[in-house]
Amino acid sequence: MAKKLGKKARKFARKNLQSAAKRNRKIRNQFNHRRGPRRGGSAGREDGDEDVPQQVHDSTMVTNDAAAATLIHGLEFPEDDAELDADLSDSDGYLSEDPGCPYYSDSEDEKAAKDCIMEDGLDRQNDDMNRDIKKQKKKLKKLLDKDPEFANFLEKWQSELESYRSKEDSDEDEMDSMDDDDSNDENSPNAKVLTSKTISEWCQLVSKDPKSPALRNLLNAFRDACRHGVHSHGPSMQRFQNARVFYQIITFVLSELDNVFRALLEIQDDANKGKIMNLRNSKKWQTVDPLIKSYLQNSLDLLSQLTDNKMLAFVLTRLRASMVLFSAYPSTSSRLVKILFRLWASGDQGLSLSAFLMIREVASLLPDCLDLCLTKSYNTYIASTKLVNDRNTKHIYFLTDCLVELYSLDVQKSYERAVTSVEQLNAILRQASKTKEKEDLRKIDNWQYINCVNLWVRFLCCHYKDYNLHPLFSEVLQVIRGVAHLFRGTRYLPLRLRLVQMLNELSTCSQMFYPIPSLLFDCLEFREVSQKEQTQRTKINFSSLLKVPKNLLKSRDFQEECVLSAIQVLSAHFAQWSYHVSFPEVATIPLFLLKRLHEQTTIESLHRPIKRLIDQVTENKGFIERKREVVSFSPNDKASVDSFLQEEKVSRNASFTRFYASVAENCQPKGRKTL
Amino acid sequence: MGKRSGSKRKDKNKVILPPELPPEIDDDEVDLSDEDIAFYGTDSSNVAHFRHFDKKSIDRYVGRVAGRDEGEVERLYEERQKRKATESSGRPREDDDELEVDPVDALPTKTLQGELVYNRAKKARSEDNTGSVKTKAQENGADAKKIIKKDEPKGKSKNKKGDDNKVKNIQSQTEVPKGQLHSNVLEEVKEELSAEELFEKKKAQLAELGMAMLEDPESNIRSLNDMLSISNDKDQKVVKLGLMSLLAVFKDIIPSYRIRQLTEKELAVEVSKEVKKTRYYEYTLIRCYKAYLQKLVSLEKQPQFYTVAVRCMCALLDTAPHFNFRENLLASVVKNLSSSDDVARKMCCEAIRSLFINEGKHRGEATIEAVRLIADHVKLNDCQLHPDSIDVFLSLRFDEDIGKDETEEEKVKPKKNKRWQKSQEVPKQLPVNDKKKTRQELISKAREEVDADLRAVSFSLDPKERKRIQKETLSALFETYFRILKHSVTTSNSRTKVNNVSPSGLHPLLTPCLAGLGKFSHLIDVDFMGELISCLKKLSGYSDRQDEIPNDNALSVSERLQCCIVAFKVWRSNLEALNVDLQDFFVQLYNLILEYRPDRDHGEVLADALKTLLWEGKQQDMLRAAAFIKRLATFALSFGSAEAIAALVTLKHLLQKNSKCRNMLENDSGGGSLSCLVAKYNPEATDPYLSGALASVLWELSLLEKHYDISVSSMASNILSMANLNPTQNPVPILNVNPLEAYRDLSMERELLKPASKSLPLNLKKKRRGKEFVALSPDVLKKADCSVDKHELEEKLQSHFAVLRSISENERLRGELNHTLSSINMYKEYKKQQKKKNMKFKTGRKKVAKV
Repeated sequence: MAKKLGKKARKFARKNLQSAAKRNRKIRNQFNHRRGPRRGGSAGREDGDEDVPQQVHDSTMVTNDAAAATLIHGLEFPEDDAELDADLSDSDGYLSEDPGCPYYSDSEDEKAAKDCIMEDGLDRQNDDMNRDIKKQKKKLKKLLDKDPEFANFLEKWQSELESYRSKEDSDEDEMDSMDDDDSNDENSPNAKVLTSKTISEWCQLVSKDPKSPALRNLLNAFRDACRHGVHSHGPSMQRFQNARVFYQIITFVLSELDNVFRALLEIQDDANKGKIMNLRNSKKWQTVDPLIKSYLQNSLDLLSQLTDNKMLAFVLTRLRASMVLFSAYPSTSSRLVKILFRLWASGDQGLSLSAFLMIREVASLLPDCLDLCLTKSYNTYIASTKLVNDRNTKHIYFLTDCLVELYSLDVQKSYERAVTSVEQLNAILRQASKTKEKEDLRKIDNWQYINCVNLWVRFLCCHYKDYNLHPLFSEVLQVIRGVAHLFRGTRYLPLRLRLVQMLNELSTCSQMFYPIPSLLFDCLEFREVSQKEQTQRTKINFSSLLKVPKNLLKSRDFQEECVLSAIQVLSAHFAQWSYHVSFPEVATIPLFLLKRLHEQTTIESLHRPIKRLIDQVTENKGFIERKREVVSFSPNDKASVDSFLQEEKVSRNASFTRFYASVAENCQPKGRKTL
Repeated sequence: MGKRSGSKRKDKNKVILPPELPPEIDDDEVDLSDEDIAFYGTDSSNVAHFRHFDKKSIDRYVGRVAGRDEGEVERLYEERQKRKATESSGRPREDDDELEVDPVDALPTKTLQGELVYNRAKKARSEDNTGSVKTKAQENGADAKKIIKKDEPKGKSKNKKGDDNKVKNIQSQTEVPKGQLHSNVLEEVKEELSAEELFEKKKAQLAELGMAMLEDPESNIRSLNDMLSISNDKDQKVVKLGLMSLLAVFKDIIPSYRIRQLTEKELAVEVSKEVKKTRYYEYTLIRCYKAYLQKLVSLEKQPQFYTVAVRCMCALLDTAPHFNFRENLLASVVKNLSSSDDVARKMCCEAIRSLFINEGKHRGEATIEAVRLIADHVKLNDCQLHPDSIDVFLSLRFDEDIGKDETEEEKVKPKKNKRWQKSQEVPKQLPVNDKKKTRQELISKAREEVDADLRAVSFSLDPKERKRIQKETLSALFETYFRILKHSVTTSNSRTKVNNVSPSGLHPLLTPCLAGLGKFSHLIDVDFMGELISCLKKLSGYSDRQDEIPNDNALSVSERLQCCIVAFKVWRSNLEALNVDLQDFFVQLYNLILEYRPDRDHGEVLADALKTLLWEGKQQDMLRAAAFIKRLATFALSFGSAEAIAALVTLKHLLQKNSKCRNMLENDSGGGSLSCLVAKYNPEATDPYLSGALASVLWELSLLEKHYDISVSSMASNILSMANLNPTQNPVPILNVNPLEAYRDLSMERELLKPASKSLPLNLKKKRRGKEFVALSPDVLKKADCSVDKHELEEKLQSHFAVLRSISENERLRGELNHTLSSINMYKEYKKQQKKKNMKFKTGRKKVAKV
């Protein structure tokens, strides 16, 4: 994950890479410029964080063409970036320590310090440099020995340089502080080296008694650990004797402190926001407040420092426990949200999931944050579903589900957003159908549009039963039908199949009838297959395609995939109505076509699946016909029609249901059909 | 326009040149320019037309004349003069050119008396102009004086212009020596410039000539020759301009009567000068018009002039369908009706359409000619033409009472019909001969002249004559249609065996032909009805072929449906008196419903077929009605809402008309209530009579009630409610439209055009969800809880630490190294300074020593 290089590493690169120098200057100018209206301190930190997603955004932007870029802006919700950084500015997280706490120094650990250093490129480079320095120093010494007057000259020059550099440093500092929070390490005079033993001792003290003063020390150590590497010359660098100490501090703090704070505040696991808010005015809170704040802020620092997905996921999981504490600090929470969305959109499943759970927690705990979360998540979703390939289809499904989950927190609020978004989609569709121009059509024929439609379809599916979402439903339905109408032709079959899947989902959730076959005739129509390129087989995966490349149109594989996908969606359609009294009629025309296709097709591999579907449908048809011959109600008897075969439906034992289950399972690896 | 600019020039020149001209000429000129203004004031459409053909330059002229900003006009003029002054080094040669270029004058001219007159090449064309008029004037006596007066200033102004140019030439020639060094380069530049210059000049010339023509066609008729000769130019642009200018002129000056060839007798009779003059004018006009048309026809073959030539012909046909040489024009235009060039084809179609619509211009004669020409064209090309060429027939108009008429006409009819039948075998010359013959019969020779005069005066046509023309047109029209139908029948039979051509490309003319037959179905003679219907039957796919795979049929589903529609329209428009069996068409429709594909075929055609065959019909056969009802209900389950609603509207209508079929709505004693031949319903039957639909129950409707589209579902429940009514009652009508309208209302295009429904109402049951997950599956969520392995975590954290540490170490070391290195570098600097000091010291010492 090159994008997520730690802050430290980025800084390193920026300082040492020639090419970065120029850009650096530019950025600095921007920062200086941007800094104007803001207050110092924490505001700088915010900027630094903002930098990261922005870069990611830019890089994805470049890959896509400009048209698509403008499109997202069309679909995105307007984001309100006004920040409330009220209570963050006053603190740097350092806590005054109780001098009574013991510091141990143990020498036996030093050996361990050496061997845990890894043999990577950087270390070797460091060694080389060490050698170099020695050599050069020797040379210098010789020179100095030879000419003692030079020493004077050198001193003079150095002092000159110093004064010059200090001037420059003041500039640099400014920028540094933008990037990496406050550099005023004078605030932490405590530069005592932490040893493994010290930490263990502190940990024990704190676990035994939450009120122990060691807690402060531990939190300070945690702070230094989280900022480790932010300032190379700061004392925090030297505070840790070895990597083990670092590990000890971080794991202990992350895993135990939540309990410690709860014990201090005397709250239960199920404490909600209101309780915390009530507590805020209490005396208890006053004492713990700085500790909690330090803990939370430093954890966020750690999140932006870490690069490994697993570690990030771990930190997130731990932090989720203390989510309720965040509710007391809105600005910290909004910073958290930003980090979370960056992590959520990242490709890693585990990390993405833990980030999302955290987001959900934030959104449900902090109603103020809900709007921000909804907007941000939607925009992030739109931006990250621009490109779909075989690898990220699953991730996009996951993102869709997450978004639906988030939008389910407050359906009332989400509904308004959904309506706005669907209206946008509809407007784009109308424009395109009016002008029929390439540019307008391309606004629809892309993944962002389709994924957006899919999102609302999923949303509807989840809530149709519980809420009256019919207006949105018909609007979405119109969009889907309109897109299917605009993009006909064999080339767009993958797009069409996707739409049909959506229709199936909508139809299932609403129990409304949609004539799915009307959109599938193209798939079931026999087409000539070119014979020449039988040798080379190209894999066509419809789940990551909207438009079939022209050269594949006549290929066998395309034809095969078409029919198989059609069978899949068609059987979903049949499965939905397989217990309905008019199933035989539903199946009549498709069956007619399937039989014809079965006779005509020249692709051997298709014979079996088609035949299987035909047999199953025919069997079910016979089953329904037998059943309805014995009933006495007429088609206009709604209640009886609805109750027809309800028992069988509940037991789900009919052969067609089982058949569909197997079909759905078969296509599971290709794309998600059922959850 | 040239006049006006000329007058300006003159005004200018006046300052330079001594006042040669008598004052009264000045007055005359003032008169003329007034006329000019009047002309442009009244005939602004002409001006507008002028504007069309040239993008830049003519626009400038026109703009000037149209009375735009005078100052700007002046400025433009100044500019041009300046440019001419600077660039006119190529001028003398051009002037020479002009003398040589006038080939028209070099050629002999045939005067009215038939003598050949050789015009000598004159030094200035203007002199020639006035001279020729003078000769005429001598003949015409006093009348001509005016003309001279009119023309003199023009010629003089031109002379003066020439003088002026000469002066300028001298000036520019004096400038030339300066550029001797770059003579080669200059030469090239000059050539280029002169080409441009030449173009500009020709343009100006054309404009002037054209203006003169428009202003006084009678006296300037000979300028047409000049214009024609200009349009022989090598420069394509000039040619195009010339053609367009001539077009504009002809459009304006073509008289509203046809010019007749003079007979020997007439020539022999002595006539007055007036008449002679008119004859001369007409003669020249006809001659030039002919030359122009010939030119157009020849240019049409050259791709670069194709569009221009076609445009000119179309415009001429549009404005002057009554004039001479219409036949040639028509032939060319008709030929281009099926041009592959979209623009040209559109123009031709428009021209022909306007010919059909504005019959008053040519009393319908051109219509019949055009229809005949198209008919021949279709025949020659074996029906492989662009659909547009037949589509124009839809603009034809016939009187309503043309078919049924008085007894007198009755006699003619069978004869004509026979003739039509003959004409299928006999080559096409016959109708033309016929026409002449009938004309000779109808109009006696003695009356000819009077009649011509009468017709020239009044455009109204003798109703009998009109009827005759219309009848002939109609027969030619149907001849074409039948030819196409026959052709389609034969090829579709042969092609089915070959089976390698795409269906749509096979019969390009069939669709417009069917549309035309549908439109004029009421005019078709009963005698052909049988043949026509059998033709359509074959085309619609009837016969043993229906068991075959439908793709083998060369006709598309839409075309076959159209055949059914036309057959019914023909039958119905003849008051259903015809005793033909249309059962086959029902069978066709019954099967075609299953072949319909929403994106491939036109839904409107299907809806139209439902409307024509089922909805408009009276009571149907019960078995057939039942079969259709069942099929339409099934159809509605598999097709989009627009098709579904069309089917349901038809279904409802059928149920209303055939009350016995309402039994299908009820499920009595397990299955349909009525016993019939076939006990069990077979949905795949191809014959509606054998499907056994009467035994089925319309279960579909119960599912259609759940249709997503509100109009479909309400329609379904409306139909279902019929079950509870007694046979004579009908349910509350909810959608009182025919299937076609219903289809259109629900089609996607229409739906997308409707304004978006804004601000959806928001009435949710307030129900705050708990914390349970709705979209994410528990399996996925489980993954989040499995904590990271402790050792792995330790390792990772430690390595993270190590990386950070080594980075900072690296940074520190680098700083140190740099520092040391720069210190060493400083040593060199130090040494240098030392040396300098030493040097100073030394020099100082030296100085001291010197002193």
